[in-house]
Amino acid sequence: MVEKHSMSMSKKRTIGNVFSYIALSLISIIWILPFVFLVLQSFRCESTGVVGYVLPQQWGLDNYIFLFSPDANFLQWYFNTFIIALFVCVLQTAMQFMMAYALSRFRFALRKPLMNVMLVLGMFPGFLTMIVLYQVLKTIGLTGDNAVPGLILVYVASSGMGYYVIKGFLDTLPKSLDEAALVDGATRMQIFVKVILPLCKPILIYTVLTAFMGPWGDFIFAACIALGSQTGMNVAAGLNSWLSAANISSNFTHFCAGGVVVAIPVMVLFLFLQKYYVEGVTGGAVKG
Amino acid sequence: MAQVKLTNVKKVYQGGTVAVQNFNLDIADKEFIVFVGPSGCGKSTTLRMVAGLEDISGGTIEIDGEVVNDLQPKDRHISMVFQNYALYPHLTVFENIAFPLRLQKNPKMSQDEIYERVTSAAQVLGITQYLTRKPKALSGGQRQRVAIGRAMVKDCKVFLMDEPLSNLDTKLRNQMRAEIILLRKRINTTFIYVTHDQTEAMTLGDRIVCMKEGGYVMQIGTPSELFDWPASKFVAEFVGAPMMNMVKCDLIKEGKKYFVNPFGYKLPVDGEKLALLNSRNVEAQPIYLGVRPEHVTLVREKKGASFPVTIEVNEMMGSEYHLHVVTEDGTKLIVRIPTINLSEEERTKMVSGEVINIAFEGKAMHFFSQATEYNLLIDNQYLADKEPLNNSPVKEEAEEEIHQEESSEEVKEE
Repeated sequence: MVEKHSMSMSKKRTIGNVFSYIALSLISIIWILPFVFLVLQSFRCESTGVVGYVLPQQWGLDNYIFLFSPDANFLQWYFNTFIIALFVCVLQTAMQFMMAYALSRFRFALRKPLMNVMLVLGMFPGFLTMIVLYQVLKTIGLTGDNAVPGLILVYVASSGMGYYVIKGFLDTLPKSLDEAALVDGATRMQIFVKVILPLCKPILIYTVLTAFMGPWGDFIFAACIALGSQTGMNVAAGLNSWLSAANISSNFTHFCAGGVVVAIPVMVLFLFLQKYYVEGVTGGAVKG
Repeated sequence: MAQVKLTNVKKVYQGGTVAVQNFNLDIADKEFIVFVGPSGCGKSTTLRMVAGLEDISGGTIEIDGEVVNDLQPKDRHISMVFQNYALYPHLTVFENIAFPLRLQKNPKMSQDEIYERVTSAAQVLGITQYLTRKPKALSGGQRQRVAIGRAMVKDCKVFLMDEPLSNLDTKLRNQMRAEIILLRKRINTTFIYVTHDQTEAMTLGDRIVCMKEGGYVMQIGTPSELFDWPASKFVAEFVGAPMMNMVKCDLIKEGKKYFVNPFGYKLPVDGEKLALLNSRNVEAQPIYLGVRPEHVTLVREKKGASFPVTIEVNEMMGSEYHLHVVTEDGTKLIVRIPTINLSEEERTKMVSGEVINIAFEGKAMHFFSQATEYNLLIDNQYLADKEPLNNSPVKEEAEEEIHQEESSEEVKEE
């Protein structure tokens, strides 16, 4: 009797598992299909337009070779994007950390109202300001060919408002660490650099990654501010220009190859940094 | 090495909560001062104001004659040990201890000297073998040693400790307490130590500041002063374990004689207490009669000054019995009897429901006014509603003589 009961239990569990795995596999396939398609198309050599089949008839690296040839502006776009992402990554991380540290550790007048205002402001989509920003940047000459510094400015300008996640993390670090360092003779800057930052490794990695990914993959702002200038575009806007009705038949496979090349640095970055993501570093700070 | 002087120090938080009321204290050079009191009494806040981690709402704090109210913690020449250790988790034990030394400027400390100081501190604290470890690989006691090491490598005028032992288990706490006494001899500087544990206060302090919820200083004095001459019912109940028994009764005056009448029995007051009552000409009044559990004696044969009580709970502590007893009129008392004073047969009778006879030791009775809860035999300068507090206890000569005799024994017991 008992055996029968346990048999039916394990049978039920097996059936349940089978169903969940089928569902999960379906979801994974749907999720991964566009990327597989992109990779496959990037190796297609027989034609450069859009075709009605998936597997290339002729395999080769022609599309990649084209990307790095002088005929394409791809390298310029890639370089632009890299410069923008690099600057934004450094500046935005610094700003968010300083903002979060100040809001987590100092008590000053209007601190709470400031946080509330930023929360409300953060609820408006950034695109609402796009037209205004374009006009402002145009006035100071940072659009079109000069879009790179203009874009850096736009991305960095309001970055302090994204301090929430870091503040949440800093709030979990005991205040007595700061106090101990104060008594030990450290200045606030020394505390920030020597005590707090080393403890923030997981959240620092997260911030760096998101700060890099934002401008790296951004299309709307970049396209709007570069406004068609080949030298000012980032890689997303540039690749998009290959998909226009006039260019798509000669550039679709180039676009696919470009997409793969754009994904590579981000993947490398993730693979390299992910082990720090999970690493807890606060053990032993206080009684535990 | 420095004197510390707190004058009318006050702490009011935003919203008007008063954490510390008019705190006055002169700490002598190399003195070991303990702030003791229940949680929320403002003892840690006062310490943090001395450290510079908390703004001072009123009054002044002087270290070595210099007003430090507006000085940064790093400019106050202090060291501090925190309750939760506050070690830097990303640094090794060596780097944790070296941290304050590396930050020193004018003159900058050489690598050799840093190494020298860290290793000698580690040797004193017995943590040499852990110098390369990170704090998370240490036990609670070892972490606390590292925290003390970090505080002691620096040349400081005042050594502050904020409940340093409260996160340790009892055995380790007793061990560390003894080590702090040794450490104090070695460092030989001014100490301010905060604790809620009266045992730590009694064993460590040269003088104790006993505080009460709301930031009131109830009494400042040596451990024996607090134990033998508690200024108020609060101090009497806080200092000493188990807690002092308090019996509501009357102080009766008949000519030159005084009596108390707990549970309807009339007991005469004698000895020094009687002399003091007479010299102060204390009026007859309703009082709390305070008797420490160790001053309640077991009476084998019922006599006039003894009364029967029923045992409710019997706590066998090994070296002594703590008996929770209830009198005929329902008053609950605690009686402490050394096991060695009991015969084998008597021990078997110390159980719930048994009736025993007890008596109060006349010379160890304390009298607290029911109206004010202050000790009737002491000039009380710690009255919360009286201004301002005065630190040096004004004692009558008679009292001085008495507690000199009694104090040494009591402290040993603790």
